[in-house]
Amino acid sequence: MKQKWSLIVLILLFALILTACGGSTEEPAAENAPAEEPAADTVPAEEPAAEVQDFVTWYQYDEKNEDPASDERVGNEYLRNTIPQFNEAFAGKWNWANQPKAFDRMTTELVAAVQAGGEVPDLFELSNTQDVIDFYRNGTAQDMMAWAQEQSWWSDLDPNAIDACTAPDGALLCIPISQRPQLVYVWNDRFPDGYPTTPEEFLARAEELKAEGLYAITFFGSTDKGGEGLTRGIWTTISSFGGALDDGQGNMLLNTPENIAAIEFLREIVANEYVPEIAFAGGFQEEEAFKDSSAGSFPTGLFGYRYVNPLTAPNGTAYAKGSAEDMIDAIEAGDVYLTHFIAAEGQMPGCGVDVAGFVIPVGATNVDAAHDYINWIMSPEQNANWVQGPGGGFPALKATQADPAFQTTFYKEAAEAIGASACSPWYGSLERPNEAQETVMTAVYKLIKEDPTADIAEVLTQTQEEYNAGN
Amino acid sequence: MRQLLSRSKGGGRTQSTLPFWLILPTIIVLLAIQVYPALYTVWLSLQEREPEGWTFIGLENFKRLFATSLFNESVGHTIVFLVGYAGLTLVLGFVIALLLSRNVRLSGLYITLLFIPWIIADLLVGLIFRLMVVPDYGLLSGILQNPAIIPPDGLSVLTAVPPKSWFGDFPFPPAAAMTFLILASTWRALPFVTLLLLAAMQTVPTEIIESSRIDGANGRQVIRHIMVPLMLPTMVVALFSLTLSGMNGVGMVFSLTGGGPGTSTYVLSYMLYSIGWDRLQFGRAAALALMIAIVNWLLISGTLRLTRVEERSV
Repeated sequence: MKQKWSLIVLILLFALILTACGGSTEEPAAENAPAEEPAADTVPAEEPAAEVQDFVTWYQYDEKNEDPASDERVGNEYLRNTIPQFNEAFAGKWNWANQPKAFDRMTTELVAAVQAGGEVPDLFELSNTQDVIDFYRNGTAQDMMAWAQEQSWWSDLDPNAIDACTAPDGALLCIPISQRPQLVYVWNDRFPDGYPTTPEEFLARAEELKAEGLYAITFFGSTDKGGEGLTRGIWTTISSFGGALDDGQGNMLLNTPENIAAIEFLREIVANEYVPEIAFAGGFQEEEAFKDSSAGSFPTGLFGYRYVNPLTAPNGTAYAKGSAEDMIDAIEAGDVYLTHFIAAEGQMPGCGVDVAGFVIPVGATNVDAAHDYINWIMSPEQNANWVQGPGGGFPALKATQADPAFQTTFYKEAAEAIGASACSPWYGSLERPNEAQETVMTAVYKLIKEDPTADIAEVLTQTQEEYNAGN
Repeated sequence: MRQLLSRSKGGGRTQSTLPFWLILPTIIVLLAIQVYPALYTVWLSLQEREPEGWTFIGLENFKRLFATSLFNESVGHTIVFLVGYAGLTLVLGFVIALLLSRNVRLSGLYITLLFIPWIIADLLVGLIFRLMVVPDYGLLSGILQNPAIIPPDGLSVLTAVPPKSWFGDFPFPPAAAMTFLILASTWRALPFVTLLLLAAMQTVPTEIIESSRIDGANGRQVIRHIMVPLMLPTMVVALFSLTLSGMNGVGMVFSLTGGGPGTSTYVLSYMLYSIGWDRLQFGRAAALALMIAIVNWLLISGTLRLTRVEERSV
């Protein structure tokens, strides 16, 4: 009897714990953003609310980190400057409370938090377009389409940026603020006659540089960071050969003549040692070869200028502030220029493109504040500032593109490079981009570095079949 | 009289249920932090996340894992890592413990110094070792990448292509990065194992060792026939601890090699991390976690059984 009683107590307790822990695991229904009261474009609080509410954001930046050597100093400083501005503009209504998150973990943390019914921010800083697909599959983000379409800035947004934020079911899961294309940083002295436009020209110049003990190119060639390298130089190369990773229907399609040609090109430049060994070391170490100008070019994201410093030019000039200004200074001085990648015959130079912007997570408690914040960022006073700060790219708002901040040599060269390229998100119609990224990069690494004699078509077929088995 | 009886009966009941109430808080904590997550993991392993919500897919996650080439590779890498790491740490730990047991001068200082790696987080150890071998810029790269020292082309640990396998798909001999990972892991675990073995060594009665020497046993025979058998239970515990930490640890792989070059240091624990945190496939990650848990359970029960047998035989 006693044992039975004990057992009953135990079961009841366990049930209680399960209820306590599991009660919140029921996900909040994905709600459309309320669209009844569209906020004004800039909304300084005219009548302060009775109680100031916290407006919680997740940024990869930390306003409290004042370390000038921090990799994220640009974003940190941006937040440090603008948090007081926002709080002043919305005094008595909202209090912006930022929670800094690690850039490579914040997406997973948000997905897990929403699924577990944990605390989520009112607004999430999106820095990677493929997150939109992750959020779509995991029911993480609110559909903002109805609300966004009623805002004055909607019609001024670049349609490509809107597409990048749109989930396969048509829901608008992010508001794009900045577009981050991939392009090529080039040391002028290594390519004084301009960057090659064809693979043949590139190989010829690479051979000359090799004879001088230099490398023509460095890129993220390792399988590190979940195959991140695929989204950078590898995709730039594949797309420049007219290749793609999908069939447009959600299936992976790798074994195509264009993809094979791209991999043969990569194989050749690696085998001929036109690429430094450090390109395959992971941990963003490939940047080192560009920093000391031992490698002449570096295909990477436009915002990469923030991280690639200090620099030593081939002529010995040192750009050694150790900040994002180094690359800008080198470009202004003409030591570095930005351009597009080479292209195979009949193709346009390819490149990847990402969107940076905002997501309102499912379960966010202060959606009104998030709406006010987005409208505030869309205002002419704030938009360019954000694009240059956390955005690190081109404005998604056409009106901001004319801002003097984007008329510098850096932005002009970048705009020219992008204008001459065909840029698209690397994952196409693939609905499991993270898995695709890792498996494709592993296959490419195997073919160009680990086993340069392996049959390209066979490895690509195996990879696509393994992925498609999960469709 | 009846009142007295009932009172004593009541008091007896309180006494007999008292242990239950005393351990109740512990049980509640265990239920909350161990049983519930375990049950949730089982549930999760049978689900897949779709845009519409969680979908029951039975054992599909397990099937997909087995069908993934990376899973088979990871199993091979895990075996190589565990054998190398546990074996090397045990052997080196035993040798160092033997040296320290001989009352050399400043042995106290050596023991203190020896303990330093153990207090550094594995993530940091991985970073430190990585900085030593980063191609071109690493502390040891100048030596290792020098063709005159390591012919014909020198060795770039983090990017070297794995040698051709001797056993089909089984990754042996290991890639340079795997060997380096084993060395780094050994360096960190060595203090713990050394101190464990040193303590065990000091419990071996000196009379037995002295009498064996009088009987003509040399140093090697004393170690083999006296010390090792008497220290065996401790060695089994050390082996058990090393195997579990090697099986489940992910920090060192994460910061030192990131599973690379290619997939040559992709072990099961890193695969679990990658599937869950990089790919966001929580269902499949839960399935792999369950498999790893079963292997852990087998290792624990096997070691416990082995320890009992050895204790009895000793």
